[in-house]
Amino acid sequence: MNAPTGLDFASIPERIQSEVQRAIQRSIKGVEYFSTSGPTLGSTPKDVLHSRGTMNLYHYRPMSDEIYRVPVLIVMATTNRGYILDLVPGQSFIEFLLKRGYDVYMLDWSAPRPEEKSLRMEDYVLDFIPDCVRRVQADSGEQDVSVIGYCFGGVLSLLYGAIHKDGPMKNLICFTTPIDFREMKLFSNLSDRRYFDVDRLVDSVGNVPPEMILSSFEMLRPASRTASQIQLWENIWNDEFVKSYRMFDRWATDTLPLAGEYFRTITKDLMWDNKLFNDTMSVGGRAAKLEDIKVPFLHAVAEHDHIVPYDAAKHLIAKIGSEDKEEVMLKGGHVSLVAGANAVKRLWPKLDSWLGTRST
Amino acid sequence: MTNEINDPVAMWQKMVGDMEKGFNSFANQAMSSPEFSQVVNRAGGVAAGAQKQLGELMEKYLVTMNLPSREQVTALAERLQSIESQIGEMKSMLSQMAASSGISQGFDGAPKPPRTKRPPSENGDQK
Repeated sequence: MNAPTGLDFASIPERIQSEVQRAIQRSIKGVEYFSTSGPTLGSTPKDVLHSRGTMNLYHYRPMSDEIYRVPVLIVMATTNRGYILDLVPGQSFIEFLLKRGYDVYMLDWSAPRPEEKSLRMEDYVLDFIPDCVRRVQADSGEQDVSVIGYCFGGVLSLLYGAIHKDGPMKNLICFTTPIDFREMKLFSNLSDRRYFDVDRLVDSVGNVPPEMILSSFEMLRPASRTASQIQLWENIWNDEFVKSYRMFDRWATDTLPLAGEYFRTITKDLMWDNKLFNDTMSVGGRAAKLEDIKVPFLHAVAEHDHIVPYDAAKHLIAKIGSEDKEEVMLKGGHVSLVAGANAVKRLWPKLDSWLGTRST
Repeated sequence: MTNEINDPVAMWQKMVGDMEKGFNSFANQAMSSPEFSQVVNRAGGVAAGAQKQLGELMEKYLVTMNLPSREQVTALAERLQSIESQIGEMKSMLSQMAASSGISQGFDGAPKPPRTKRPPSENGDQK
């Protein structure tokens, strides 16, 4: 029977019973949560093809009897670990690519050591990426290489592609990649040149500490950490929710320091002078213009991205010089675009259908 | 079917969600002011300066205690890094030698699959 307010009295005992059961489960699972570690992440079988300081090049072991001719090199963002793309079986982008027949390599980063504070943008764009591309070519025996860049890994891939316009990049895919840094409002305000003395910071600390990077990310949504902990407590009876929470929480807090000189260039050239957007960017004296990228290009952006808002990314597609280019906007946020249950249904199949036809 | 009006749990969840959005929005507005940037950067500058001074003090302390200085540890790390690089180069050379001798295999010794895959649309396969 329904009361005039719409209150369903008949369902109340059932609801109370369900909430009592959940409360008991919360207590049991809550103890379990603190006494166990989370799921093992990044476990898809791989070999370390090359390692040099902060740079690591992995080759994932094929999972298909037949693979596409063109290998894929994933360039990870320098602020975070690459295992976001290789969470657990069934939720691993890498595993998905391998099973779909791609030969997958990843350029992943370790925390730069104190003596690597002098690494510059040139080291990343003119040394690390070309070195990895050469090693992928040697290992695969193929001249062509497709590149996928995630977030700032996309920026590095764009700079690499713009400077190495004669190849060997065959296709370029960027996930949530900013080019108009004025539109990253909070970061832009925090690095306001009137108040932010980047030289003093870098000269004092060497590498920019990960706590500083993490807190600047968290400042974008200052209430979200508390709210997510409340959500965790409410759902701690739900094993799938807890597993997912632990995976993403571990990754999000596993932030890397940034090499000091590299951070100085990002601040001055990108945050202050917006050079990539203004077509005045150069790396090591070599001009990097987006119009010089002519290879097939795909840019995937997220509708609710709070880290790289659409306004910061939307001009990329117009500025790229390729004739074969496409921007796709998908539901989700900065991370859920590439990882998790939504990515499995949205981005991954889209990428597969786009890249498969361009990988032969 | 329960609805939010008569379900206290759903009401609580909605309230938490609304509070999160409201606070985030309010904080983002507050953080967009130049004054906020000025205050944060002033505090950050002081912290960075203090960290540098503390580092220098610690280095003097380590020297007094006859412990290896940071520079000595860094020099050791660089030597280790050089050894790591050389091992990497040797692995790479071995891999290239294996490839040039016609052995098509990965690091794990398993043969590499042929690079003949065609996209499903060309083969008429279902995804």
